[in-house]
Amino acid sequence: MSNHSNSHQIECRAVGHSLRSGDHDLEILRDVDLVIEAGEFVAIVGPSGSGKSTLLGLLAGLERPTRGSIRFEGHPLESSSEDELALWRREEVGFVFQSFQLLGNLTARENVLLPLELTGESQAQERATQLLAAVGLSERGHHYPSQLSGGEQQRVALARAFGHRPAVLFADEPTGNLDSETGSQALELLLQMREEHGTTLVLITHDSKVADRAQRRLHLIGGRLRKPSEAQESSQ
Amino acid sequence: MRSHLTLRLFLRESRGARGRLIYFVLCLALGVGAVTAVSALVEAVDRSLRAESRELIASDIKISSRAPLPDALDTAISLLGSEAQASTFELATMLAVPSAADGSAGSSRLVELKAASSGYPFFGELITDPPGLTPATLGPDGILLASDLLGSLGLTPGDRVNVGGQDFLLRGALLSEPDRIEFGLTLGPRALVSEMGLARTDLLSFGSRVQYARLLRLRPEMTPRELSRYERRLKAELEGTERIRVQTHREAQPNIRRSLDNVERYLGLVALLSLLLGGVGVAQVVRVWIEERTAAVAIQRSLGMRPREILQLYLSHVVGLATLASLVGCAAGLAAPPLVATFYPGPLELDSTYHISTGVVLRGLGLGLAVAAIFAIGPLSAIYKVSPARVLRSEAAPLAMPRWVRLTTLAVLLGGVFGCTFFQAEDAKVAGIFTAGLLVLAGILWLSARLAMWSATKIPRDSLSVYLRYGLSSLARPGAGTTATIVALGLGVHVISAMLLVETRLGRELRSGLPEDAPSVFLLDVQPTQWEAIDTLLANHQAESIDSTPVAMARLTHIDGRPVREIAAERERARGRARWVLTREQRLTWRDSLPESNVILDGSWFEVGGAPEISLEERYAEDLGASVGTRLGFDLQGMPMEFVVSSIREVDWASFSINFFLIVEPGVLEQAPHSRLASARLDVEGEQPLQDELVAAFPNVTLLRLRPMMEKIAELLERIAVGVRALGWVAVAAGLAILSGAVASSGLRRQREVALQKTLGMTRSGVMIFLVVEYGMIGLVAGACGAGASYLLAWGFLEYLMELKAELPWAWLPMFVLGSAALSAICGLGSSLRTLNTRPAASLRG
Repeated sequence: MSNHSNSHQIECRAVGHSLRSGDHDLEILRDVDLVIEAGEFVAIVGPSGSGKSTLLGLLAGLERPTRGSIRFEGHPLESSSEDELALWRREEVGFVFQSFQLLGNLTARENVLLPLELTGESQAQERATQLLAAVGLSERGHHYPSQLSGGEQQRVALARAFGHRPAVLFADEPTGNLDSETGSQALELLLQMREEHGTTLVLITHDSKVADRAQRRLHLIGGRLRKPSEAQESSQ
Repeated sequence: MRSHLTLRLFLRESRGARGRLIYFVLCLALGVGAVTAVSALVEAVDRSLRAESRELIASDIKISSRAPLPDALDTAISLLGSEAQASTFELATMLAVPSAADGSAGSSRLVELKAASSGYPFFGELITDPPGLTPATLGPDGILLASDLLGSLGLTPGDRVNVGGQDFLLRGALLSEPDRIEFGLTLGPRALVSEMGLARTDLLSFGSRVQYARLLRLRPEMTPRELSRYERRLKAELEGTERIRVQTHREAQPNIRRSLDNVERYLGLVALLSLLLGGVGVAQVVRVWIEERTAAVAIQRSLGMRPREILQLYLSHVVGLATLASLVGCAAGLAAPPLVATFYPGPLELDSTYHISTGVVLRGLGLGLAVAAIFAIGPLSAIYKVSPARVLRSEAAPLAMPRWVRLTTLAVLLGGVFGCTFFQAEDAKVAGIFTAGLLVLAGILWLSARLAMWSATKIPRDSLSVYLRYGLSSLARPGAGTTATIVALGLGVHVISAMLLVETRLGRELRSGLPEDAPSVFLLDVQPTQWEAIDTLLANHQAESIDSTPVAMARLTHIDGRPVREIAAERERARGRARWVLTREQRLTWRDSLPESNVILDGSWFEVGGAPEISLEERYAEDLGASVGTRLGFDLQGMPMEFVVSSIREVDWASFSINFFLIVEPGVLEQAPHSRLASARLDVEGEQPLQDELVAAFPNVTLLRLRPMMEKIAELLERIAVGVRALGWVAVAAGLAILSGAVASSGLRRQREVALQKTLGMTRSGVMIFLVVEYGMIGLVAGACGAGASYLLAWGFLEYLMELKAELPWAWLPMFVLGSAALSAICGLGSSLRTLNTRPAASLRG
């Protein structure tokens, strides 16, 4: 996708999303207007069912909004084909999920390698070694996800997410499945890697301590964003 | 995606695929094995023909004709050179044991007489008892007879027999000769005399159907290329001489090769059915596999892999598995020739060693890979429906399948099935009919399966036992692959039951004797002067429906002024319409009224005056490309004649009456050389005495008895049916493999159910009954649908194509249905043994 240097990195205009439920439409998101600048760390908070994951999926091009427009560096995501979105995610986007979402039939090292291989990284093997070292799993690269603890799995997921140096990282409750100590360690690692790579971070969380670390907090209630003034808090 | 990356991803994706591997391999290997077995068998027969090719024509080159060989042949041979030559003559004739002491006529048989000059055979040997007898040692009055004939007539060496009006001294038994293979139908057992012996008889008189042949032995060091050049030059020297066939040992036994081609085509199609069923199994395995991998596909898509890249990855996996499965199938199929050679020896000596043929393996591999890909592409395209948003919410709605993907998968499936069939049958029409038939049948089975599943949900169950209730519920269980299993198993049952029904009915028809009023004997080569006496003889033997008609032999020379040789060459090049109608020896008859079993479809019966007219049988006219008004030129023993087609007739061949493709108007051919063909109906007991007396009085007349010939056809049919039934069983096995695959692939869910049932207090045997009822019901529906459809097909085939009363054995229907249910229950239970051992607590935790 082309790079429009004058525009915001992510820009949502009047975004709405509904799902078919039985014989009626279920409104998940309504009139979401949102701008995220390059390098920003934004936390999306809100109660369960408020539409956080849906919004994250729309911002990451995993789904298309039923209304409105989402632009990445000026390019509309909703009019891109599935293939264009896939190539965009391959180059520009990283993910970290609550349930880690590692491929169970690949070793930790192979999970990290996959995005690097997809982008054709020339030094993929070396880069994977570096990344595993960076997350403290140099010795665990040959293990399968089922042979790793939750914290270790999330660290593998972090190494995978930053491997191809994405412009934006979307994190869905990255500490949600971890105990508080392991969760804190994972969060620190995430923030440290974000800092090193200068990556934009959009993170969903229920945990106010995690949200406190964000530069900006977006409150989503009943599918609507609350006023920016209420959400804007500094975590620095 | 770069190929090395695809390979790496493929290797990673292959991990933990053991369960999938087993069923995938099983489903596909069965079908590939069946296809390979047929090809390997045909190739083994062909190889055996080639290995003994010189022996199969007993020479290097054989020149043969239905007419005496021309002098030009001698000139050509002396020009081209040969090491040695021999002549043979073959014809069907009657053999009689001389009258008994009380004056009654001795016994007689129809035999295939061969006369050979000294030197025969140049290759291979005559095996005789006593050993070492040859045409040269037989002398002018010696004869050898097939050993079964000696037995049936109670003859021993030293006895005398009569052939062609001459006495011969029986010298011994002919056990085998190199150039005779009883692969198809023969008219009778063999009798062998010398050329001098034949010359004593009047069997070469006009009207006899003699096959004249000259056998040549050439230099032993002659290369195949030199042999071809010799053949070409010989043909060039004989240019302009009609009815001559030149055959080198490299193209030995073309009739057998043609039969082999037909056997390969039809058995190959039945085998392909098993492979296509295997394809249904592959589709099933892939469907379950992709369902299991939905989460992984969503992750891969979220990481930026495009759907087509993921499809490519999984397809490469399918290709890898299919290669393995096809190789396993090929290895098994290649064992067919040695197995058949050992356990079901036929008239041909098959090589009993395990022979790996590249061509056969490539065919099996190619078809296996193609079928796997064709059937996998549909379930694999489900990848397009997996939303990457599943990484966030497992309930994320699936994406709509792009229209082009849907259309492409459908086109690949239909085109692929047609393509595989065409590859196997090498005939677009056959492939089209087979594909369409298969689609209709699969459609009927699919609809029946859906109807059965729907009915299962509607039947009031409260009054049923708990086991039946459970069985009915399970039948309708969504996502269990019940429909595919029923279709596949049903097709297998269908093939077996349809073949059994048709073969049994035809066999009964052939063995049950002749229709009322149909003649039971035909008399050939009756000279016009003999007819009156023979007619009296027939009447004396209480023969009924005596009929006789003149026959003149001729060659077709022109159609509407165009030389037939030109048209035949054209047809050979285009492999179009039948050539035989042009080149065969034509039998013309004449009569003033339309035969009883004939109806005129076009034109009118002969009119007096004008050009001589001819009437053609409908299908013959079609093959000839002639219609009313077409001018046909004939060569009648050297006399050119032209007739105008005045009518096209439909003939009821099933009447068994004397019928002809060609009937000319009376008053034209009466003076031409001709013989008479006669027919009559006798009781079974009356045939042999008539034959014995006829042969004693008129040795040149050949008597054909229909009843034993029909018995032989029934035996031949039985031989083919064994092959079809064996392949039908492979189809059933493929259906059961699919069932096992479906059972095993739902193993985890089953384990949970069984755990719950056990937790609720059900015993192991109780769970077993549940499973037996469930799988038994699947087999019941498959059996009912498959067998039901086979009754429909057999009825249509027998009533409309064979024009017989179908008289199907309805009592067999429950047998087919219950058999299918029992097999299915056993197979389903066998595949669930692991599930049965599930401990309640372990699975409830899962």
